[in-house]
Amino acid sequence: MSTTLVNPLDERVRPQANPAQRLDTLQGKRLALLDISKPGGSIFLDRLEALLTERYGAASILRIAKPTFAKPAPDEVLAKIREAQVQATIEALAD
Amino acid sequence: MLEIGAAAPAIDGIEFSQPTLLAFFETDCPACHLTLPYLNALQAAVGEKAVVAAISQDSACPTEALAKSLPIEIPIHIDRGLAASRAYDPLAAPALFLVDRGRRIAAESTGFDKAELNRIAGRLCALAGVPAAAPAAPHDGNPQWKPGCVSRHREPESGAGDPAPVDVHAQRGQRAGRVELSAADDPYEYCYEHGFADPLPVVPPTVERVERMLAATGLPPERIVARIPPNFGAATVEKIAANAVMAGCRPEMMRVLVPLTRALCDERLDIHGVQGTTHSAAPLVIVNGPVRGQLGFASGSNVFSNTARANSTLGRAVQLMLRNLGGAAPGEIDMSTLGNPGKFSYVIAENEEAGPWAPLCADFGIDPRRSALTLYCCEPPRGISEHAARTAEVLLRAFCPVLANLWSRRVCRAPEALVVIGPEHAATLKRSGFSKNDVVSYLYENTGIPLCEYDGDGGEGAKTTQRYEECMIRGVRCYRKFNGTESIRVMVAGGPAGKFSAVLGSWQTGRRGSQMVSYPLDDE
Repeated sequence: MSTTLVNPLDERVRPQANPAQRLDTLQGKRLALLDISKPGGSIFLDRLEALLTERYGAASILRIAKPTFAKPAPDEVLAKIREAQVQATIEALAD
Repeated sequence: MLEIGAAAPAIDGIEFSQPTLLAFFETDCPACHLTLPYLNALQAAVGEKAVVAAISQDSACPTEALAKSLPIEIPIHIDRGLAASRAYDPLAAPALFLVDRGRRIAAESTGFDKAELNRIAGRLCALAGVPAAAPAAPHDGNPQWKPGCVSRHREPESGAGDPAPVDVHAQRGQRAGRVELSAADDPYEYCYEHGFADPLPVVPPTVERVERMLAATGLPPERIVARIPPNFGAATVEKIAANAVMAGCRPEMMRVLVPLTRALCDERLDIHGVQGTTHSAAPLVIVNGPVRGQLGFASGSNVFSNTARANSTLGRAVQLMLRNLGGAAPGEIDMSTLGNPGKFSYVIAENEEAGPWAPLCADFGIDPRRSALTLYCCEPPRGISEHAARTAEVLLRAFCPVLANLWSRRVCRAPEALVVIGPEHAATLKRSGFSKNDVVSYLYENTGIPLCEYDGDGGEGAKTTQRYEECMIRGVRCYRKFNGTESIRVMVAGGPAGKFSAVLGSWQTGRRGSQMVSYPLDDE
């Protein structure tokens, strides 16, 4: 005897996408560091910003933070990154 | 993307007189390059009994170059104007569509996935009546899986625009798919193997069982009650029912599960963050009111244990939905460092009969005579023993050190607490004439961390003392643990014997974290 089950899972088919094209160099590039706002994260990101600028020649670093690490980045934060027209964003977690 | 069972649209040069596998590809797509050579082997396996055809989404020149370099030995059709791509509407390339003799879509997949490729190859062989072939061997040097590229016809310059975003306000979803099992399939093993469940066996969600659940609600099966983060899978009434069946719920539990699903997705609760945290938080459901007796929720002895079907199955249904619809599979989205036994099931009812005060839901403005659900994302319980106290003050003194240790001992202001008071302790408090507010005030006033513990070692909570409030507790200068009396909630639960209580610590709190929410139920 056959059995018919009702699928209990989320059945949506998700579009697959390739990652954005990688930069071939950081030299002269505009970058963003998105701080997810974990305690102590800014200490790590300050150092990372200095390295990106001094060692790798990044043209500018946009520093931006989520209001809380416990929730997704709100639209305003994403819009600011888009408006800045950076060439790469690093979502940075430090704890 | 065409659904399984849909009629296969015509493609110039393909007759569909035999079982046919269509493979849409792009010449510059790495996942397509991985897929196409396996189809050469598949064509060899099915011979003249079936057709394997490649559909190029690019022009003849790059297609011929790729065909020569890979090589591609199966027939190639150039999809001029992307007409076939628009008709089949794959989300990504490579895309496989298996078309049966009735010219219906029998199986499909996108991207490169060896398991899917072999599954579809097996289906084609079965339709062709030839021995099963599995062309993609597990250790042949290629990855098991690689995402594909967006299908050409969906690229902005092709005129199709971006795929439509999910309409988060839609109230009507799709009916759930049906899975036909053969007599040879063990339904219990099938559910486990196909990721329907936690590691314990589930009740197979047969159509008949789900129908009984649906009949108990009177709601349309495709009604979307909520979308469960972080994947925002639609919790339709039918999906809730299927997960409830698996959890072992009785049909009458649907009257609780539907509002509970809505409460779970209340943005104040932030289940999105809880699903993804490394912390041990899990949503605890607290049941109040007449529904406790009507559906058999336990509020007495062993209240946190496996003592009542209502508690155990409701909590398991919540967890199955969080995983099956929200996407929080352990080891994937859910990367909790230690986890929480409450992730099997975490439901208690308040022992209102043993409590001298209004029930928990009344703290949120709900009529104490009504049934209600309250949700709180928290750690496992931390036990408190106090067998000698004869007064409220002495008893509550035993609670303060446990409260002081919540989250991390020297972190103040952020943590919140649910204090679950056992009936014997509740009786002691009542004898002393303590109201619920008196209990909360005492705990707030007397829980703190001595300043001498902040000795510059840089530990958690030690660097943020400028935000803390100083106070004196029993002659010792302390930082106050809690931000305010609203950070401490009190309820009564447990059995009649034993002078035990418990404290349950929060996850991230307030508007930037998870807030306790309470929802009334419709009483019968």
